Amino acid sequence: MGKKRTVGFSRFSEVQTAWLFMAPGLLLLALFTFWPIIFSLPLAFTNYSVIGETSFVGLDNFKRAFSDVDFIASIKNSLLYMIIVPFIQIISILMAILVNQKIAGIKFFRTAYYIPVVTSMVAVAIIWGWLMSSNGVLNYLLMSVGLLDEKINWLSDKDTALWALMFITLWKGLGYYMMIYLAGLQAVPTDCIEAAKIDGASNFQIIRKIILPLLKPYVFFCTLISLMAAIRVFDEVFVLTSGGPGNSTLTSSVYIYQQGFEQFEFGYSSALGLIVSFIIMFFSIFIFVFNRKGGVNPY
Amino acid sequence: MSKGFKKVLSFAMVFLLVLGVLAACSSEGSGTKDSGSDTGKDEKTTVEFWTISLQPTFNDYFNDLIAKYEEENPGVKIDWKDFPYDAVQNKLMTSIASKKAPDVVNLNTVMANQMASKGALVDFNQELTDEQKGIYFEGIYNSTLQGEGAYALPWYTGIPVLYINKSLAEKAGIDVNNPPQTKEDLANWGKQIADKTDSFGYVFTMETRSILEEGFKIVEGDKAIFNNDEVKEYIQGNIDLIEAGVIPKDIPAFDKQVQLFGSEQVGMIISSSSFINQLKTASPDVYENTIAVPAPVGKAGIRYTNTMNLVVPKQSKNVDAATAFAHYVTNDANQLAFSKAANTLPSTKEAAKDEHFYKNDGTLEGQALTASVESLDKATDFYLGIENAGDVDSAINKHLQNIYINDQDLDAELEAAEKEVNDILAR
Repeated sequence: MGKKRTVGFSRFSEVQTAWLFMAPGLLLLALFTFWPIIFSLPLAFTNYSVIGETSFVGLDNFKRAFSDVDFIASIKNSLLYMIIVPFIQIISILMAILVNQKIAGIKFFRTAYYIPVVTSMVAVAIIWGWLMSSNGVLNYLLMSVGLLDEKINWLSDKDTALWALMFITLWKGLGYYMMIYLAGLQAVPTDCIEAAKIDGASNFQIIRKIILPLLKPYVFFCTLISLMAAIRVFDEVFVLTSGGPGNSTLTSSVYIYQQGFEQFEFGYSSALGLIVSFIIMFFSIFIFVFNRKGGVNPY
Repeated sequence: MSKGFKKVLSFAMVFLLVLGVLAACSSEGSGTKDSGSDTGKDEKTTVEFWTISLQPTFNDYFNDLIAKYEEENPGVKIDWKDFPYDAVQNKLMTSIASKKAPDVVNLNTVMANQMASKGALVDFNQELTDEQKGIYFEGIYNSTLQGEGAYALPWYTGIPVLYINKSLAEKAGIDVNNPPQTKEDLANWGKQIADKTDSFGYVFTMETRSILEEGFKIVEGDKAIFNNDEVKEYIQGNIDLIEAGVIPKDIPAFDKQVQLFGSEQVGMIISSSSFINQLKTASPDVYENTIAVPAPVGKAGIRYTNTMNLVVPKQSKNVDAATAFAHYVTNDANQLAFSKAANTLPSTKEAAKDEHFYKNDGTLEGQALTASVESLDKATDFYLGIENAGDVDSAINKHLQNIYINDQDLDAELEAAEKEVNDILAR
């Protein structure tokens, strides 16, 4: 810290140079992220609608939220959505282990698995919408192999719609987490693995007793961000079901959006946003504490 | 290069980068054709006029209309801007919030009602004479009625018609020359199609408006009044139709409706004129085999339109000039001219009488145009005439979906919907 560099920005310390490069991003973050967050705090206690008269309503928005059946349903769905978090971790770690092999053409697979990540979520949602429609490829394939007797409207049936959306989210996110785990795997010292092999450890034992423990910081990071993403899921729900049928796929982000940008209840939607933020904060703190106490012990 | 100069240069580069990014975020001039403001040389009143997705296709029509208006009203200058559908509402809200509201804005009925319920729009019942208001179809003009006020002037509209797959109807032994006049007829036809073919009878949109179409009231004063035996009986009838395979158990979005009808999985569908183009592309064979007739009506005897309106924000600094221009754009002559240019329907009585709409050339488009213009006398746009109508509508929609699609208990769901609507009305 504070060490003078010898070339280029010679009169800047490394810290100053770092701040200089971060400045544009930070400025944009301040304007478009931090400021709206700060601004939404007082809004939550008003009936602000942008276009009408604004007045202070105290805790009314919060009282309304806790008796709002739609909001409660949306929170339930968002919490249910967290089921995908462990699946994402397990599958992406396995995928990372697979693409970490030194075999011909492995770069193709790494790229192929990563393509969904860089594809627009709206495009992904529309394509999966076609695949999952009652006359879609998914029903055709499942019926061809005898796994289904009759067509299922995957996205219009209350029993399958939320799970179908979770699958789409999982499918799109795997490549991203796989890349993070791949970076983690490539940071695992090879001498540890070679030593284990000399001692006669099997591949499974190497994964369980060496790789997974060393991946722990990556698991912590990925769990945290995927959990936040699961609670805040928006695009695929909004594009494919808008929360329907009924409230069966209504998630908190979609409901907050609907209240704000469709009903102009910005005061109320700010209050909902605060409540959801606290829920996310609670789970984040829980994961931090859990991680500090050792987390999941794989060995 | 001196170190001091390098430092200054670095800061300058970062500053320019930030400035560039922020400039890109600025909305000024993005996607609009702003003709600039008056320089005050000739004290003209500038009326800022916003439309939705009409540039560049209808530039000629609007440039002529504006030129003519400015010629007839030398003291007025029209500043026309056009925005994409998705952007117009947010753009309008931010303009109102920053005290730079436009004067005349094109909005659909849902958006207009939402803005009106927040007290943001001018009441045309106060601004116009009975004669001026009388040019519009009453049902459509009243679509934004809230209390005593009406907050939008109807402009171009579209009214859904009934599309029938001829071969499926004939296979079911139905005479297509006597199409269904009522929802009851439609259900009977649907049953026959479902019984005699492998297809569903017709698509049913499970929305709040379906209850209104049957003449049931949703609210009275500040009380929900739809939780009664008659409404339950009507909903149960639809549940029976779903269970009998007459109606697909689905909420088909527009593209899915095209898919269902185009693949002959459903025999009849009530849809707008844009359905034809989609069908023509997706299934030319089915397009050739389809006829269009006026949509059957429920017991209330009304047909819902999808209307575009013109509104004047209360914040407009030129309410009189804005109202005059909005009325000019939506008058008989201009609505007729726009209908011919854009292949839409007018919302004024005289324009709808023009022979242009009755030249049925036998094509599906011609049939649909005639069928829809003949339907205008029973036209209305979805409205409840109350504040927070959008909340009430979506609350009931969700419970109806729970009943029809999620197999939830009819009594319990209607009771929950009633409580929810009463809570909304009590706000």
